[in-house]
Amino acid sequence: MTQTTPQPTTKRFTFRTFILLLIPIILLAGVIALFLSTGGGLNLQAPVPVENLDVENYILAHNNIDLYVRNTGPEELTIASVIINEAVMPFTVDPSPTIPRLGTARVHINYAWTEGEAYGVTIFTSNAIPFGVDIPVAFETPRPSQSTFWGFTLIGLYVGVIPVFLGIFWFPALRQLGRRTMTFLMAATAGLLIFLGFDTLAEALEVAAEVPSAFQGIGLIAIGSVATFLLLDAISKRQTEVTGSETDRRLAIALMIAIGIGFHNLGEGLAIGAAYNVGEIALGTFLVVGFIIQNITEGLGIIAPVLRDRPSIGRLALMGLIGGAPAIIGAWIGGYTPSPFLAVLFLAIGTGAIFEVVYEIGKLIQKDTARESMPLTVFSGVLTGMVVLWVTGLLIK
Amino acid sequence: MKPLSRRDFLKVGGLAFITTAGATALSQNTKKEEQGHTHESTSHVMQQGDHGDLPGTVGEVDHEANGFNPTDILTDFDYGEVSTLPNGQTLREYNIISFNKNVEVVPGIEFPAWTYNGRIPGPTIRATEGDRIRIHFSNGSNHPHSMHFHGFHPGEMDGVPGTGPGGLVEPGGAFTYEFDAEPFGLHLYHCHVFPLARHIAKGLYGAFIVDPKEGRPPVDREMVMVMNGIDIDFDDANDFYAVNGIPFHYQNHPIQIHVGEKIRIYLVNILEFDLINSFHLHANFFNYYPTGTSLIPSEFTDTIIQGQAQRGILEFSYKYPGMYMFHAHVTEFAELGWNGMFEVMP
Repeated sequence: MTQTTPQPTTKRFTFRTFILLLIPIILLAGVIALFLSTGGGLNLQAPVPVENLDVENYILAHNNIDLYVRNTGPEELTIASVIINEAVMPFTVDPSPTIPRLGTARVHINYAWTEGEAYGVTIFTSNAIPFGVDIPVAFETPRPSQSTFWGFTLIGLYVGVIPVFLGIFWFPALRQLGRRTMTFLMAATAGLLIFLGFDTLAEALEVAAEVPSAFQGIGLIAIGSVATFLLLDAISKRQTEVTGSETDRRLAIALMIAIGIGFHNLGEGLAIGAAYNVGEIALGTFLVVGFIIQNITEGLGIIAPVLRDRPSIGRLALMGLIGGAPAIIGAWIGGYTPSPFLAVLFLAIGTGAIFEVVYEIGKLIQKDTARESMPLTVFSGVLTGMVVLWVTGLLIK
Repeated sequence: MKPLSRRDFLKVGGLAFITTAGATALSQNTKKEEQGHTHESTSHVMQQGDHGDLPGTVGEVDHEANGFNPTDILTDFDYGEVSTLPNGQTLREYNIISFNKNVEVVPGIEFPAWTYNGRIPGPTIRATEGDRIRIHFSNGSNHPHSMHFHGFHPGEMDGVPGTGPGGLVEPGGAFTYEFDAEPFGLHLYHCHVFPLARHIAKGLYGAFIVDPKEGRPPVDREMVMVMNGIDIDFDDANDFYAVNGIPFHYQNHPIQIHVGEKIRIYLVNILEFDLINSFHLHANFFNYYPTGTSLIPSEFTDTIIQGQAQRGILEFSYKYPGMYMFHAHVTEFAELGWNGMFEVMP
């Protein structure tokens, strides 16, 4: 029997390593078992059951109200009574009035609601804990169909695609500008994006408050934004390694700006769609006009890095679509399946993407300023970008 | 209202657009949806007609587990254990114990009630003017309680903290309230330990009827109705309303009477947190005797209002057969449980 010589230099994953890795886990299981069986010496018996029920969505149809609820409490709960505007109403729950932790159910009530009126719904669990939802303005909930689909498409087109393309149409004129002006424009783009980035983040934080606590809205923001930032960074570094061409690099940055703005517009589309569903309708066509004026700067931002190059029209159009069209997709999602969870995720991705793009533009500007120092151009550019959005926002509001 | 954010603006602006652009498309869509919906839920449509369901509860509370049924309470008058005192006076003795009890008030929801003899309302104590009343009260709950009667009695029998041992009976303690039943009329009793509103709202109350010596004119049927509220989540506001404890009970189980039958109702309002309660009888009028202290009605009406602890006697009979509602004409109470039906049979 020949003995093979052991190879002490190579670290190998042996059975022994496996056991060593396993020991803390086994001990952990033991500790948990001990805690569960003894209560750990703490009296953890809650005097009142802790329950939480989120009404995630409601659908109003002729003489019907459907509430989509989720049990976000620590234990299962049972829906026992439904009161609408101070009247106890018969109801059915599908699949079951008893909802497991994080489970969902549909509460159905035959209720002759009136268009345009407000309703307050209180759901009592079997432990007599009330949960409420307000229907501020009752109206037939739009459902997926060709016509509403077209309506949401149109609104996305107006708030996303058209302004972005209008901005891109500046391309021929801006090409005539000198190097210093182009750097200024790049800096202004960075300023725009910084403003949008903060705006998106703030919105993400706001919506995160609506996410059931079990889903940790703030954690979602951290995951979505940091992961997006690092992923885009990795992609951009890889691209530089592969091609190395300065022109391609600038085009890649333009594309990334488009993606970042695209996510921002997706978030906006979600908000519009969701707002439409809950009836937050206020008239003001001039606001749409103001909105187009403000978002035209997004198109400008996309083309700024590639002004000194000659990208094909097809490429420009593609970037315009990437930047603007997500508003349409957002409106669809928000309109048909409004979900704070998705909204937070998209807004977080948008935040990460936008700040990564700012970082990339910063690198481009650094290359320019390395050739010719122009600190005031950069300062005034960034400030201009932010102030433009702030002022247009001011005019609209 | 919070200031508008940029996204708020987007919503508003976007909506303005979608409203105008999609209005026609949407209205067409609505019609389609309605058709589609009607098709998929025919069973509901058959039950509800075209106007949704009526307010009410589905299913039945567990009366057996509750230990009482409002249908029985209606005609359950407790005359006590009767004997005659050496001086010839009639003595009526009652045993009443207070204890905590979970009462299923709405199907699926238990109310952690405090009760007299395990029921809401407590026993309807009935005596004749001048009788000697002796209430052997014992406290089987884990809170101090008392029994405070409306009517004439000595101060130490008032059941209010500070008036002696009967003012506050500790858990495990006992006290005998003793007084003459007077004046004749419809009264009530309730716990008077503080916080008062909570002790009453939890269920410690009942009707106390003192008949006049010569009796009231005979009727075919007598009923007691104690109007109460249920603050199920203890926020000092009622979530449900009822007569004799269980919301919607007489809507789900109509009270059966006959055309021409003379009906007398002893109506007591023990509602907490809301200032007034009321009683409205459909398709009929009644003679009303406020507090029952006179044999001459004060009013011939179909609706009366009672403040907290007010009470009165109603007398009526039905002319036509049919189903007739009676309910609080504080209508939001009606839809939260204070609604019932008389089924008048020929």
